[in-house]
Amino acid sequence: MANGSGEAPQGLAALFAPRGVAVVGASAEPGSPGHQIVAQLQQTHYAGGVYPVNPRAQEVRGLPCYPGVLQVPGPVDLAVVVVPAPVCLVVAAQLASRRRQRGDVAAAVVVSGGFAETGPEGRRLQEELVRTLRGAGIRLVGPNCLGVADGHTGLTTSFDLGPYPAGGVSLLSQSGAFVMSFLHWARPLKMVGLCKLASVGNMADVTLTELLAYLADDPCTRVVGVYLEGVQDARAFVQAAAEVAARKPVVVLKPGRTEQGARAARSHTGSVASPDAIYHGAFRQAGVVRARTVSEFYGTVRAFERLPLPRGDRVAVLSAVGGPGTVCVDEVASQANLRLARFSPPTCARLQAVLSDIAAIGQPEGYVDMTGALTARTHGDALRALLADEGVDAVVLLTPPPTFLDEEEVARHVVEAYQEQPPELRKPVLVVLTFGDAALRARQVLESAGLCTFEFPEEAAQVLARMVEYAQARARLGAFPGKAPVGKADPGTSRGGPWGAPVP
Amino acid sequence: MSHPVVRRALEEGRGSLLEWEAYELCAAYGIPHAPWELAQDEEEAVAAARRLGNPVVLKVVSPDVLHKSEVGGVLVGLEGELAVREGFRRLREELTRRAPGARWAGVLVQPLVRGSVEVAVGGLRDPQFGPVVMVGSGGVWVEVLRDVAFRLAPLDREEALRQIRETQCSRLLQGVRGRPAADVEALAEVVVRVGDLVAGEPEVQELDLNPVVAGPEGCCAVDARAVLRAAAHTS
Repeated sequence: MANGSGEAPQGLAALFAPRGVAVVGASAEPGSPGHQIVAQLQQTHYAGGVYPVNPRAQEVRGLPCYPGVLQVPGPVDLAVVVVPAPVCLVVAAQLASRRRQRGDVAAAVVVSGGFAETGPEGRRLQEELVRTLRGAGIRLVGPNCLGVADGHTGLTTSFDLGPYPAGGVSLLSQSGAFVMSFLHWARPLKMVGLCKLASVGNMADVTLTELLAYLADDPCTRVVGVYLEGVQDARAFVQAAAEVAARKPVVVLKPGRTEQGARAARSHTGSVASPDAIYHGAFRQAGVVRARTVSEFYGTVRAFERLPLPRGDRVAVLSAVGGPGTVCVDEVASQANLRLARFSPPTCARLQAVLSDIAAIGQPEGYVDMTGALTARTHGDALRALLADEGVDAVVLLTPPPTFLDEEEVARHVVEAYQEQPPELRKPVLVVLTFGDAALRARQVLESAGLCTFEFPEEAAQVLARMVEYAQARARLGAFPGKAPVGKADPGTSRGGPWGAPVP
Repeated sequence: MSHPVVRRALEEGRGSLLEWEAYELCAAYGIPHAPWELAQDEEEAVAAARRLGNPVVLKVVSPDVLHKSEVGGVLVGLEGELAVREGFRRLREELTRRAPGARWAGVLVQPLVRGSVEVAVGGLRDPQFGPVVMVGSGGVWVEVLRDVAFRLAPLDREEALRQIRETQCSRLLQGVRGRPAADVEALAEVVVRVGDLVAGEPEVQELDLNPVVAGPEGCCAVDARAVLRAAAHTS
């Protein structure tokens, strides 16, 4: 936790829980990045010191401004640098001398662009920046990035991210805009709780691989979401991902399936990535869940944070809406790793007892069309019956909810049925509200009770398929064999995994 | 330490293995392949065909030809002495005509192997991932179908089975339209061993077994191509 005293955090820990942050390039001018970073830090619950640094300002947002990092009085474990690229080198030298004198400044985030992404001259600047910081034992995130944030300590180095609900989602990204979009999208309904975030930029020092490995041991992180365009140390990255995936889910969105997409990535991050098909296979092998679309990424990350893992692949679809229910059944059936559940006779009897005579039960197997002849209570009773069936591993519930019912009451009945399950045996329930944000109050009740809501039937089915995929991979990752290094050729006997193999 | 055929090719400044050298390399890793004999003249070809059984396949051997079919260098299903003699002459003529200057290193004689499904199995050394193994639908349409799945090597048989199941060809392997199911376990074993080969032979840049013919009694490679690292560096 961040505080003004205590031991100096070292290495990557200084990125997320520094005792104090220096914002080098802080500005009194509203709207400028150097101003916004200070503003965001002031608005979160970050308890450490915030120290604007700028030789040309006396004060930034009411905080005293220091001419240089050497003049900052309190402990500074992290420096955020937002000055033009050539000036970054001067700042780096000052950070290095401060670390030598005071022993703090374990890490720096360089937000500024103008480095390797711009050409040979920028590359030279970047190399010098790394040399100076490394020489003093300072870890560097960036340059050319939004840096880091921590929902628990309230730390943020992003001009785009202020206070955010804390939770179990950690995000690593080769695009600041991608993670900011996800967090801001999820924010109104508090659909995501943020743990740690790192936008890595040019990865001149700290890499995605290192951050991923770090999150394996982070107790607050329940799921890691990664936006990936391509990394040089691809095998090491996948190895780190496999180690994390053995303990918690890793969800990756990686564009570049087409030559055009790969070229867009090349011009964005300069990533010359290995063929996408190899990434794809390596993810499967490592138990990494690959989302195919942005909405699948959002949904899957959200579901992993909140819902229990399904213990099998048998899905019940419970619908109050005929068309969307049909679409959902279609999508569930077309997912290679999902099956529609087969209800037990007692379940069918229970459903008949609580539903209207015109409801269709088990046509096809695993599907219940409640029809519009229902009450708020019917939602909960039918859900209860399905969750009690040993042949059901997960439920997708679809409802508008109808305007003739009290939407909050519908949501409360669903929540009740969900929460009645004994916690250790809980099955996931994915709720599709087809009226979307027109049923905002129902969404709020469901989301704040720890359920996940979706707008589209396919989305819920796809997310569930990714959850089952992970649950299946997790079962075998527990006993992952491959750490033995591959020696010389020993035909037919090497039966380890790939992770020990050297990359010559 | 690289396999002797790899070392010899590198010493001779070659960027790839001859087909029969690739088979020798495969054999060292326990990868099944069609039997073969090398014939330098018509008489040898006829004798080899007699030993290997009817019908046979004749393929041109040249250190300068990587894709034999592009120079008319593969003749399939030849039966009887006359066909073999004629085939031998034709391969020689086609090479001279379609790849002038290419060195002639004889003709490879192999029995025609029948099976249920043609699979492609390959290994390669990716600059960022290192040794990688591929499996998928084989035959001449491999580039068009792009029905392949990758894994990092080395890998175990369970992983190879999951890899095979990711491809459409796994459905063909289960047996369709009255064809018997192929021995998928045996195919998985080939994938594992190709993984061992690329992981264990640092000088092999690419190994391409296409097709591997899979049937109820097992599977075997009936064509093999190996590109060495030295070639990848200079190209």
